[in-house]
Amino acid sequence: MATRAEADFRTRLQNWIPKLVLSPSLAMMLVFVYGFIAFTVYLSFTDSRMLPSYGWVGWENYSKLWRLSHWEISLTNMAIFAGLYIVICTAIGLMLAIFLDQKIRGEGFLRPLYLYPMALSFIVTGTAWKWFLDPGIGLENVMHTWGWESFSFDWIKNRDFAIYTVILAAVWQTSGFVMAMFLAGLRGIDNEILKAAQMDGASNWNLYRRIIIPQLRPAFLSAFVILAHLAIKTFDLVIALTGGGPGRATELPATFMYSYTFTRNQMGIGAASAVIMLITIAAIMIPYLYAELREKK
Amino acid sequence: MGFLDIRNATKSYGAVEVLHQVDIAVEEGEFLVLVGPSGCGKSTLLNMIAGLEDITSGEIAIKGNVVNGVHPSKRNIAMVFQSYALYPNMTVAQNITFGLEMHGVPKADRDTAMQEVAKLLQIEQLLSRKPGQLSGGQRQRVAMGRALVRDPDVFLFDEPLSNLDAKLRVDMRTEIKKLHQKLGTTIVYVTHDQIEAMTLSTRIAVMNGGYVQQLGTPKEIYDNPANLFVASFMGSPSMNLVPVTVRAEANAIYAVTTTESNGEIKLAFPEPTPALKAYDGQQITLGIRPEAITDPDGADRKSTHVETLRAQVEVTEPAGSDTFVTCHLGGTECIARMRADADVAPGQVFDFAVNMEKAVPFDPRSENRIF
Amino acid sequence: MAQATQDTAIRTGRVTRTLIYLVLLLFALFYMLPLYVMVVNSLKPLDEITGGGMMNLPEMWTLEPWRKAWSEAQIGVEPTGLKPYFWNSIQMVVPAVALSTVLGALNGYVLTKWRFKYDTILFGLMLFACFIPFQIVLIPMARVLGVLGLAGSVWGLVLVHLVYGIGFTTLYFRNYYAVFPTELVRAAQIDGAGFFQIFWRILLPSSGPIAVVSVIWQFTNIWNDFLFGASFAAGDGAPMTVALNNLVQSSTGVKEYNVHFAGAILAATPTLLVYIVAGRYFVRGLMAGSVKG
Repeated sequence: MATRAEADFRTRLQNWIPKLVLSPSLAMMLVFVYGFIAFTVYLSFTDSRMLPSYGWVGWENYSKLWRLSHWEISLTNMAIFAGLYIVICTAIGLMLAIFLDQKIRGEGFLRPLYLYPMALSFIVTGTAWKWFLDPGIGLENVMHTWGWESFSFDWIKNRDFAIYTVILAAVWQTSGFVMAMFLAGLRGIDNEILKAAQMDGASNWNLYRRIIIPQLRPAFLSAFVILAHLAIKTFDLVIALTGGGPGRATELPATFMYSYTFTRNQMGIGAASAVIMLITIAAIMIPYLYAELREKK
Repeated sequence: MGFLDIRNATKSYGAVEVLHQVDIAVEEGEFLVLVGPSGCGKSTLLNMIAGLEDITSGEIAIKGNVVNGVHPSKRNIAMVFQSYALYPNMTVAQNITFGLEMHGVPKADRDTAMQEVAKLLQIEQLLSRKPGQLSGGQRQRVAMGRALVRDPDVFLFDEPLSNLDAKLRVDMRTEIKKLHQKLGTTIVYVTHDQIEAMTLSTRIAVMNGGYVQQLGTPKEIYDNPANLFVASFMGSPSMNLVPVTVRAEANAIYAVTTTESNGEIKLAFPEPTPALKAYDGQQITLGIRPEAITDPDGADRKSTHVETLRAQVEVTEPAGSDTFVTCHLGGTECIARMRADADVAPGQVFDFAVNMEKAVPFDPRSENRIF
Repeated sequence: MAQATQDTAIRTGRVTRTLIYLVLLLFALFYMLPLYVMVVNSLKPLDEITGGGMMNLPEMWTLEPWRKAWSEAQIGVEPTGLKPYFWNSIQMVVPAVALSTVLGALNGYVLTKWRFKYDTILFGLMLFACFIPFQIVLIPMARVLGVLGLAGSVWGLVLVHLVYGIGFTTLYFRNYYAVFPTELVRAAQIDGAGFFQIFWRILLPSSGPIAVVSVIWQFTNIWNDFLFGASFAAGDGAPMTVALNNLVQSSTGVKEYNVHFAGAILAATPTLLVYIVAGRYFVRGLMAGSVKG
């Protein structure tokens, strides 16, 4: 019987080790992610200003938030930014992927050129574009010295157009990555299906429209989810490129939250805006993750 | 008490019971094959013996020691996996000795044991290679070597031949059988291939739906299947199952059926048992192995109950050593196995010889054999 | 990434092909343009830039802006250049990457080979944590770092990046180990190997590719982070991205664009190097973060 007891101990230990190993990560996640989310949600219902305070004010922060023109601008900018950013990135990514998939000579050379911006920090990207688009020294100035005196490109300094320069820089950074996703999708399509479609007399245009692009559905979905999530989190790019300006012309929810929380000492409102950002991302990510995890079972 | 005892072993996942009260006692030196279709619970049972899955209720004992809850490495068992499960980053020699190393066997002893096994399996020249550089058959040998070197009480094989091509499978089958005869070890072997089960085992447990359907020697299982499942699962082509009506007459009991071409036919049972008589006038299922339906010249001469059955031949399939002939009996297709040179052609009305000694009656409702 | 299949079924005419090449080259120019601007202008004196020569090659080649950006530029109180911040980033990145990769590997191992009830839900929670907007944790994190005495320090950032990086590393290793044959683990169990022996002797030797992916991903992400750096490590403890932004945004004195560009390249060099040396793994990391499975 002695041997049996010892063996039992070892088996029990082996059953516990995996859970023990996982527990630090789980604890960190529960505290630093979900605990913190709960705390921020709680703060959004309090009168916290410079420091957290625990006076309960109900929905006051939220109603204040929705009355702020600053927040309204951020949301409008978000809508323009996210909409155009997602659409343009997807369009460019898909086009480049389809073009690169035509047995292009030099594909191995071009592909890394399209993708390298993804390795850069948004701060670097922002800096480069900031000075390149600056009317004083950048593109406009260059055109003038090249003799095109009437050339004008001051979007980055123009309240109505500054947000489009953010889109430009963001598209520059991520469209290559979207290209890579679509290219992987294209390479995964069974060539025999394409041959069969050609036997059926499909033109190239129809081949793509009717056969290939519909099969890229998963790539479209992934691209959408990744881009939407990147868009909502966009912060550093705006800070480096425009600093939210001119005026408030390029404020986004992320920069709004940051300035209200840390520079304007309106922590309650900052927390409320963060909660709204989280809910937006959750609405996109949870169904996606749920579907992904279910499929694998 | 046997060498390996499985007593009332049951396995459930949550509310779902996948293995129901399995009772098997394996004697030392036996070669037990667990056979059944996929999902029948055979691999689960093997994993329970190995300790890779726990036992929900019941007991498993090796050499009299109950091993429920005992870690796999403390059960003194070894296992050969379907995918061979060779560690890809280790050489063949390291693969073979890994278990000994984990059990704290000194290096010198490990090497001696490894050399012995390598010689036995003729893999000495492969010892310094990595699994990725081996052929399927060689991997199979290494996997067996890894099991043998441990000198365990019980060997467990989980469909070890299913990844090999047909020819290699037959060779390795012979080799495993030789090894068993030479070493006299106790083996539990899982397969879905009924030919492997028949050729290798000393005893077979046919499983389906989480139940052991029948436990017996290959001959018992083949000649006297306990129920319709065993009858149809074991044997290839499988047993013909013909619906017949029992008719008791003066001194004999007949199985009555019809053919499309020649109307009613009567086949007399060898013995008018009371059990059969109880079914008088009712429909039963009569199981007849293909080799029990032949051409008259090919009929078993030792049998005293060869009946003649006149029916139209539908298809003939010459398979080299035999010719398979298809006809219709009682509305179902029936396959007869004849000598290769039997003189038979499609469309012909032919006198089939049925060896009723080999026919097995089943109750179609309970699906069990009628004794 | 998949290699070009040999027999692509689609055939295109000569005119179409020319157009395709043209578009592809135009985009190559578009992607190269900012890098060209940065490199070229970091090698010329300031007056060449302000004089409208941003697109020109330098007339007078100089490394002065680089030297200035590295060791002289005014970023904090002292004119230290980016050098100390570069080392801050290194000190932050190395332990954060190492720890999060090790933990991710162990988590992935447990979640695939030692499955237990509700493990998928736990993994789902970890995965969702990768995608939260970090604004939601900024306030409490600042408090906790203050309480732990880590506010403003590199170690505080290490903790932050470890916590929010584990989700991704776990995802990588889990997906990788999910296709690692479980029979090997079972065989090793029968052979008598324990939890850590199996991990060390059986799984880890085959984990090279995914470890590279994980390290590269973490390295790039943590090096490029700005939000956490700006929130928790202002001043002397700031990482490279924050220092670069301070340099570029500082409103005092003349704007030295050439120094800014040199600084930007300095900030980009480590991740660019990683991309050039191990681009294949970099792409795989990006893809694994999107197309799970």
